[in-house]
Order: sequence, then structure tokens, then C-alpha cells
Amino acid sequence: MGYTRKLAIRNYIVEGFLILASLIVLLPLVILILGSFKTSAEVLSFSLHLPDTWQFSNYVRVFQEGGLSRAFLNSIWITGISSIINIVASSAAAFILARRETKLSGTLYMYFFMGLIAPMSIITTIRVVQGLGFYGSITSVILIYAALNTAFSVFLYSGFIKTIPRALDEVAFLEGASVFGVFFRIVTPLILPVNATVAIMVFMSVWNDITIPVYFLTDSSTWTMPLSIYNFYGKYSRDWNLIFANLVLTSLPVFILYLFGQKYIVSGLTAGAVKG
Amino acid sequence: MKRTKNLYSYYMIFPALIIYSIFFVVPAIAGFYYSFTDWRLDRLELTFIGWDNFKKIFSDKTLILALQNTAIFAIVTVVGKNVIGLLLAVGLNMRLRTKNLLRAIFYSPSILSILVISILFTPMLRTEGTINQLLEAVGLHSLSQAWLTNPSIVIWTIAIVSIWQSAGFQMAIYLAGLQSISQEYYEAAKIDGASSWRSFFKITLPLLLPAININLMLTLIGGLKVFSEVYVMTGGGPGNASQVVGTIILRSFGEGNWGLGTAVNTLLFVVVTIIAIPLLIFMRRKEVTE
Repeated sequence: MGYTRKLAIRNYIVEGFLILASLIVLLPLVILILGSFKTSAEVLSFSLHLPDTWQFSNYVRVFQEGGLSRAFLNSIWITGISSIINIVASSAAAFILARRETKLSGTLYMYFFMGLIAPMSIITTIRVVQGLGFYGSITSVILIYAALNTAFSVFLYSGFIKTIPRALDEVAFLEGASVFGVFFRIVTPLILPVNATVAIMVFMSVWNDITIPVYFLTDSSTWTMPLSIYNFYGKYSRDWNLIFANLVLTSLPVFILYLFGQKYIVSGLTAGAVKG
Repeated sequence: MKRTKNLYSYYMIFPALIIYSIFFVVPAIAGFYYSFTDWRLDRLELTFIGWDNFKKIFSDKTLILALQNTAIFAIVTVVGKNVIGLLLAVGLNMRLRTKNLLRAIFYSPSILSILVISILFTPMLRTEGTINQLLEAVGLHSLSQAWLTNPSIVIWTIAIVSIWQSAGFQMAIYLAGLQSISQEYYEAAKIDGASSWRSFFKITLPLLLPAININLMLTLIGGLKVFSEVYVMTGGGPGNASQVVGTIILRSFGEGNWGLGTAVNTLLFVVVTIIAIPLLIFMRRKEVTE
């Protein structure tokens, strides 16, 4: 009895402390959201006061003056296509790497794995893209993102595919299936949860990134949401209400994706990283 | 048996292999070569100049400061994100009524863009900003600071914002690790009369090693590659006080000093690899013994 009561008290203390700590995370986010509905004079206190009148028009202005519809479509296109390329190519590669147990496949695995560690060499990548003739284009950025995320995806997929019994493949091979057929008909349905994890992780990292656009998207018609915000932030440095509305708009797609996919994030991390 | 093995034809690797090689590996290897040349925007002929770029890096005060700042940022964020992330995970692994809500709150900043977080904190960190107002409201006048314009603390400020953003991500990985530890160990320890501290150090930490390793790797590599936070919050300033390797590379690119910029990148590559490889070998060994 005494023991459990002591535990209960300890839990209350921990809970109280964690709730206080959560305010440190919560308050800046609340200031951001409230600020996006204030007037440009009112927002300057950066405080928790509710807006006197809710300025929904901030969002409309941001969309019109910031030229965000173009940027939004660019972001959707870049993020969507690079995620799809990454998922198809990486899962197919990981399938072979996980199944073949030769020296070559071990070496190739390490070759991919190095990408998790090594930083990309930006200036020489620009030269390669210039040499191929599409520097500044959306296509170049799509391929670069697909390449940058290959290491992470191959790592997650191969960890998971190793847990799928080989006997399933062998039966299919005996029935006369090709390696292509085995991959798409047997392995792909079984790795759907990992596809969700990879899709969410790649989508979030690409959507949120500014490093690649800063170097590779030289023409403002190709800018992504974050980059156009950064430009907007420079131009409208006094209108924090508009800047905040802009930040909320950029965060909305990943937030929605997170709400739908949160169980895959944790289960994918457990399967790939912690147990892998 | 041997026959089925060979049915896994290598051609399925090609799409990933080609994209990854052209857009990641080839530039990385080319970077090693160009680091030893005087490659410039305005010069078409390259000359091989040996170690000159690297000598220049180590004799230029700004570049040395950038290396120091990168090291400070990496160390501060590795310690901060992991200690706080682990504490949050241990707390939120207990039977608390609000644990699901609290987990979601702590995780939430890590789904946002570094750009969003950096722009949000810039006005709050000003001398008359929210952070200082809060400090003064609770009577901590002495801690009030010019967070982003005081050259001697600016890199620390940026590191703390980064910890604020991503400690919740580390927490999620630690929670996943904690939940894979069987309760039986703790029950056995309790029967043996072990204290909670003792179970934490003798059971939790050792069994959490895979999660600890992956988190150390992620935070360390991420810390050494820092760019966006500094680029948005200070642009490397005031003066050059918060320059890091990432912003130096951008500056050399802008100035057309491509050989030098590539050399800085190569240096980063070598440093990251030297630190990460022993960690990786340690992780792999751990997997074998399990």
C-alpha cells in the first residue's frame, strides 16, 4: 500500500513537471498562431493576448501578395515526385540487397549506407547538374532529393525486408514467377507500412528543406513554399502578422500529413532504427 | 537453394544506384579532386595547387571561427537533445493521464520546418523581445540578453533553439526503444530489491543502447551539417560571429571561390566520417552480440 502510494505521488510530481515543461514548447507555437490573426500593430507585442478582431484577411493577403499558389504547386510537385521515385527505387534496391548474401551486395549496402553519414558536396553537384543541362530546373531538385534520401530509405527497407521469410519468395519462384513479379506481388504488399513511413519522412524532410532550393532554384517561378516565405520575410519585415500567417500556411500540409500518419512514424522508427 | 539465390537479379538495384551515384557519389568524389585546385567562377583553366586551400582555411580567422562554431553547435545540441529527449521519454513512459497529449506537444516542433522555427524565434529573441520580457516577469533580470546580437553567445542561442525544436524527435526514438524493453526485467529487479536508480542504470540504459546510438548519430551528423538555422536567424552575423561551415560554403559559392568552398566541404566530409565510423562499428558489433 505504502509502496503504491509513493509511486502515485511520484507520478503526480513527474506529471506536473512535464506539464510545466510542455508550456515551453507550446507558448511560442500559440504566439505564432494567434499572431497570424492579428493586425500588424497588435502582433508586435508577440504575446498571448487574443486578437481584438480576428483578421482572417491576413491569409488571403499572404496568398495574393506572396504569390504562394505557384510556390505551393511547386512544392507539391517536387515533394510528391521525389518521394515516389525514392520509394520505388529504394525498395527495389533494398529487396535485392536484403536477399542476396554475396560480397558484392554487402559492399553495395555499405556504398548506400555512406550516404547516411557523408554530407553532400553542393558546389560539385551544381556542376554535375549544369553538365547535364538542367541547372535551376525543378527536375534537378527532384532528382537530388531522391538521391539524398536513398541512403535512409534503403536502410529502413532492407531492415524490414530481412524480417520477411524467404520461403515466400521461393515458393513463387518455383511457380515460375520472375524477380519482378515476386517483388511487386509478394514483397510490396508486405512492406506497405514501411512505404508509409518512408513516404511521410521523405515528404516532411523535402517539404521543410531550404538548403537545396537556396542553391538550385535560381528562378523565382520555381521557388518552393519555404523559399518564397523567406523572400517574403525579407520584404515584409515589419508585417509580422503576414509573416506568421505565411509560416502557418507552410506548416499546414506537413501538420495534416502528420495527423494521418503519426502511427507510421513511430512504428517505422521502431522497426527500422531501434530494432534494425 | 543456390539457384533461387541467383534469381534475385541485380538489375533491380540499378535505378536507385544510378540516381544515387550521379547526384550524390560522383559530386562527393569530384569534390575531393576540386579541393586541391584553384577552381574559380571566372577561370576556366584549373590548376592543381596541392594543400593550398586547406592551408588557407587554417590561416583565415573567419574560417577557423566557423569551424569552432560548428563544433560548439554540434556538441551543445548532441548533449542537449539527447539528455532532454531521454528525460522526456522516461517521464512519458510512466503511467500518466496526460501522457499522449504531452507526447504530441513535445513532438510537434520537429515536424515543422527549421525555417518556420527560426523566423518565429527571431523577433522573440530580440533585446525587447518575448524571451527577455518573460525573464524579467519572473525576476531574472540578470539573464536578460541580446540573444542574437551578442557575438559571444549567438551560436549558443541558435543551438538552444535547435534543441527546442528537435528534443521531441529524440524523445520519440527513446520512447520506441523503452517500449521494446520487456517489463519482466524490471519485475525481476524489483523482486531482488533493486532501487529505481539501479534498474535505470543496470537495465534501462544498457537495453536502450541501440536507440542511444541511433540518436547520437543523427544529432551529431545533423549538428555538423548545420546551415538553415544560422542562415535564417543571423546569416552568420553579427559580423562573422555565428558563421558555421554550412554558411561559409554558401559564401564561397557566392563569391565564386569554388575550389575553396569545395575544400571546406571536403573537410566537413572527413570530420563527419572520422567521428561517425567508430560509432557505426560499435553499433554493428552490438547487433551481432544481441
